[in-house]
Amino acid sequence: MAVTAPVADPAVAAFRPPSARHFARLKLRVLRNGFRGQGWRVTLFVLGCLFGLWFAAMGFFAFAAPSLAGDADRDVAVLVLALGGGALVLGWLLLPLVFFGVDETLDPARFALLPLPRRTLLAGLLAAGFIGIPAVATGLATAGSVVTAATFGGAGAALVQAIGVAGGLLLCVAASRAITSGFATMLRSRRMRDLAAIMLAVLAALLGPLQIGVIVALNNADLDQLVRVARVVEWTPFGAPYTAGLDVAEGRPLAAAAKLLGTAAVIAALLWWWSRSVESAMLGTASAGTARPARAPAGGPMAQLFPRALRWLRPGQHGAIAAREARYWWRDARRRASLITLAVVGVFVPLMFNVGVAGLLGDESSQAATSPTQVTISMLFVGSLAALSLANQFGYDGSAYAAHVVVGVPGRVELRARVLGFSMYMVPLLAGIAVLVAIVLGRFDWLPVMWGGLAAAYGTGLAVNLFVSILAAYALPDTANPFAISTGAGMAKSLLSFVALFASLAAAAVYAIVSFLVPEGLWLWLALPVGLAYGVGATVLGCYLAGDVLDRRGPELLATVSSKR
Amino acid sequence: MTGERTAALALRGLVKRFESKVAVAGVDLDVPAGSFYGLLGPNGAGKTTTLSMAVGLLRPDAGGAWVLGHDVWSDPVRAKQLLGVMPDGTRLFDRLSGAELLAYTGLLRGMAADVVDQRARELLDVLALADAGRTLVVDYSAGMKKKSGLACALLHGPRLLVLDEPFEAVDPVSGALIRDILQRYVTGGGTVVFSSHVMEVVERLCSHVAILAAGAIKTVGTLDEVRGGRPLEEVFVEVVGGRTATGQELSWL
Repeated sequence: MAVTAPVADPAVAAFRPPSARHFARLKLRVLRNGFRGQGWRVTLFVLGCLFGLWFAAMGFFAFAAPSLAGDADRDVAVLVLALGGGALVLGWLLLPLVFFGVDETLDPARFALLPLPRRTLLAGLLAAGFIGIPAVATGLATAGSVVTAATFGGAGAALVQAIGVAGGLLLCVAASRAITSGFATMLRSRRMRDLAAIMLAVLAALLGPLQIGVIVALNNADLDQLVRVARVVEWTPFGAPYTAGLDVAEGRPLAAAAKLLGTAAVIAALLWWWSRSVESAMLGTASAGTARPARAPAGGPMAQLFPRALRWLRPGQHGAIAAREARYWWRDARRRASLITLAVVGVFVPLMFNVGVAGLLGDESSQAATSPTQVTISMLFVGSLAALSLANQFGYDGSAYAAHVVVGVPGRVELRARVLGFSMYMVPLLAGIAVLVAIVLGRFDWLPVMWGGLAAAYGTGLAVNLFVSILAAYALPDTANPFAISTGAGMAKSLLSFVALFASLAAAAVYAIVSFLVPEGLWLWLALPVGLAYGVGATVLGCYLAGDVLDRRGPELLATVSSKR
Repeated sequence: MTGERTAALALRGLVKRFESKVAVAGVDLDVPAGSFYGLLGPNGAGKTTTLSMAVGLLRPDAGGAWVLGHDVWSDPVRAKQLLGVMPDGTRLFDRLSGAELLAYTGLLRGMAADVVDQRARELLDVLALADAGRTLVVDYSAGMKKKSGLACALLHGPRLLVLDEPFEAVDPVSGALIRDILQRYVTGGGTVVFSSHVMEVVERLCSHVAILAAGAIKTVGTLDEVRGGRPLEEVFVEVVGGRTATGQELSWL
């Protein structure tokens, strides 16, 4: 079939793709407009800058420190550069995924209709990715290693190291973009999303063994062993960019070249992966409407809202909201991501804390070290962390919350139902974590203490976070990326969740104090009833008091979570 | 509100400021019961802001709103029971299927389970949403989403229906269906207030019209009073103060 020849249009011929600088300027402009008339955002930004500067300065001196050690001890230099640099790269890889989310000020989907070659778009988004406190701070911190390289190998080594540092920064930014974008794509597709969820869990779980490794290293304080690890890490993408200068200093230019080339290859591979997923993110907005083949619904609308597993809920405002919340914690990718992360962290933290590094590695002697108090404290932490997922519960709903405001759902009913919907996942999960820890420790008699601690911390945490969720809600950006959080307001308010965590830990500490005061034998019996009463009491009181606040602030809450601004 | 006949919706001196910009600058409006009321205005005139304040979604800086005599802001429970709302630009709980969404909305409204079941089934049938089966609302087309929103607003049989842009992004078939349902609702004694900037629809449906521009009501009255024998579009452009093309600009097109 003959298609008409392409039109020779002067406008098309004159098209020049915009440079990466253009994207960087666009991002700066977006950031600046975000501050307009928002004094507190400027304040938070300045605080963020100061924190970033402090981190950068500390990092710079740490990376430059080996030069003080003198020529004698080059092992120390390898140690600091390879392990320090590796930790940074790993942080860029994992932290956006697990904790902080990635700044999607420039959402790729927004560029879908512009005639941009993929290469231009990618270069532009990457350039924009460098604009931000974390990237600048990382760049400044690692620049310290240039001083080290210069001390050992002079100008040539310093130059190579500078190239390495730049490459390392590029690697960090590209890796964080590629991995979040890749996971977002997988979580979007219905076929892949369960696989992606599991992979995410495994990645989050990597944090655990990593901690173990670090603590082992610190405990043993065996320099030779550490240097051996560093000598391996320097040949992985994690350490390679930061050790190239040292190779020059030690007279191995070929090794340095290999490291730089390897880094470049890894960056290229990451960019390729990213470009694939960016493309699908751009298509995603246009083709999200493709519906699955509709199956015949089973039963009437009521039966569909309350499937067999939820039949026990009484139909009414409370039951309906609880049923929907239960549904949403699984159907909404953002909420599911937070559930999975929690499950993994919840298993690892108590194991780390109680069994200890040595215990996990099979060193029997240290296993007896733990005590009911120690177990209790770790359980308090897990319980508080679990409740933290509710800190922005209204933000997950976004403008859909309007449906509740229009009806005028009473605040107490609303909060009780939300707590119930979330607890349908959390209570079995927390109970299971306690059992798992008990199995590993071989102390089933401690189960009541653990359950009691979990109940106390989870309950008080819920109470605290109910208030946080009403008073400090923030809009989540309306993108398909579950890891995206908007810069400025969202970032700052997500830091509030740390405050909430400390507040609920403080409230739960009462339980720990009581456990000190009561004799241990008696406590084993009292722990569960006391913990349950404390936790349930706190939650009920929280729903009661926060419900009043919600009744007064419904429309204001709706305005903050609707993502117009 | 006092008055011989209580208005279905009464707005008095509504004001809303966003930072330095005044979005709505003192709107007074009386919507008689049983009327089909069109709120017209160009983009950014403050239609959505006005309606949001009228139904209790957005707290006004000044002024008040009454639904069939009940103050929306001081007696919200009673007012909201009489009111069905379809906001524009807010999402539905779209990770539910259409049937689940209706069952959910009905229960939120405090209706009995069997009534919800029966009405939801009927609405799904009439609005041709039953075929979608278990498809989640997030995967619906724009027109289907609008129809789901309308079904949610109608489910509890309100006396006053407030719809923000009900005909936006709706195909002609769905549009005709929505028009038909709304007309039947008004014939049955209900009152409809809706915002739009599609003159043709307003002319065909409305008994009363108010034109809103720059946050204030410019013209108000029955359709014939406002038109004064001219096409509505002409009146609208004149009232709003549109710009007339000279034929010189955009010569490169």
